[in-house]
Amino acid sequence: ARKFTDKHEWVSVENGVGTVGISNFAQEALGDVVYCSLPEVGTKLSKHDEFGALESVKAASELYSPLSGEVTEINAALADNPGLVNKSCYQDGWLIKMTVENPA
Amino acid sequence: MVLQSSLKNCLQLSCIFRTPKAGFRSTTSGGLIIQSVSNDVYQNLAVEDWIHDHMNLENLRVLFLWRNSPAVVIGRHQNPWQEWLLRQKNIKLARRRSGGGTVYHDLGNINLTFFTTRKKYERMENLKLVVKALKALRPKLDVCVTERYDILLDGQYKISGTAAKLGRTAAYHHCTLLCNADKSVLSSVLKSPYNGIKSNATPSVPASVKNLFEEDPSLTCEMLLDAIAEEYATQHQIDHRITLINPADETLLPGINNKTEELQTWEWVYGKTPKFSVSTCFNMFYKDSVLDIKVDMDVKHGRIEDCNIDLPKQWLPPALCSELVKSLTGIKFCPNETTALVTTLLRVCPQDDELHSRWNLLCENVIMLM
Repeated sequence: ARKFTDKHEWVSVENGVGTVGISNFAQEALGDVVYCSLPEVGTKLSKHDEFGALESVKAASELYSPLSGEVTEINAALADNPGLVNKSCYQDGWLIKMTVENPA
Repeated sequence: MVLQSSLKNCLQLSCIFRTPKAGFRSTTSGGLIIQSVSNDVYQNLAVEDWIHDHMNLENLRVLFLWRNSPAVVIGRHQNPWQEWLLRQKNIKLARRRSGGGTVYHDLGNINLTFFTTRKKYERMENLKLVVKALKALRPKLDVCVTERYDILLDGQYKISGTAAKLGRTAAYHHCTLLCNADKSVLSSVLKSPYNGIKSNATPSVPASVKNLFEEDPSLTCEMLLDAIAEEYATQHQIDHRITLINPADETLLPGINNKTEELQTWEWVYGKTPKFSVSTCFNMFYKDSVLDIKVDMDVKHGRIEDCNIDLPKQWLPPALCSELVKSLTGIKFCPNETTALVTTLLRVCPQDDELHSRWNLLCENVIMLM
């Protein structure tokens, strides 16, 4: 099940691993994403920690972790194709995967 | 119009700055205009960070006015090696936290930062306000806002560029305004050197620029600042007085000096550069021969991650070459560090003048890429 934060990030947990992305509302509001700044694998995040930023039309928009956990994977496709966040925010435009400390 | 902080003003300001969560209760009805007394780019960027992180903007909007002594400012996700050519001793390099491209600041340029809650973030409105202020000052001025959030003079010259940062609850939009900046320095430092860099960092979009002063020599920075502050106060129905703040005042802005320091670290200015690769071939002239050299490097977090140097066979002892490549891996992509490294390596070489001069020539060329 996909859960949404009030800041328009979503997280979908499966087998203890959460996939995080931004909502359609958020990607529309941002405009064309030209750069994704994501954390290193292994970074430990607490809920609400800033974990990166998306840049679009000269605005750097911070990303906040919806969960506490450790980053296990980042979406490498976004390096060459940041527009995936706009085109497919719920599928190919996912941002990071992380372990979930408190499944709730 | 511009007043030294009166004691009452100071106390009001302290109230706002020290009790951000208690909400805003003041006669300035939801708005504040502040101006920095400093011309230091790092101090002024730190004020922006401080306001963004600590002030409760739920029912408050803030206009921050500032000017810097000569500095080049790159955007959050840009590559300084790609963006500026001349490292001049008296021009500082800073990386801001907002997006966008590279700009040159000096005292002939004014900076405006519009702070609001994230919900009230509205760049176009802010820029229209600036244009309105300019036209109120000089009705014949041909200035307009573009879709790219630039302000153009006479339909063609860029006089203002915009960038923004969106946080959890707060947002800011800042822009420049060219009044009387040194255009010759501007164009010389913002040249984009081709040195074989491949990266996905946000690129700058070059533009023809002009100073408002060229259009009307009676205009000064002070006049522009006052006009914009006046228009802001009118539009948002707030007190039109400008409060001066000192970005080094730790009492007023607790933690500000840490922020200022962080903005000056190599790790922030250079280390935050998105991963990039350098791939370049060049000719080296040595005595009577011309040598083809190829250098490839991957740079991540400002450090050399992977390195390869192709030289004509036997021009330098292979063991020495591989030692060079091995030692370069992991160090900062920085002329100073590299110079120190190669000097150290040379000491363990046999005392052979020919060898030393070849080594120095190669290393000089490699360092020039940085």
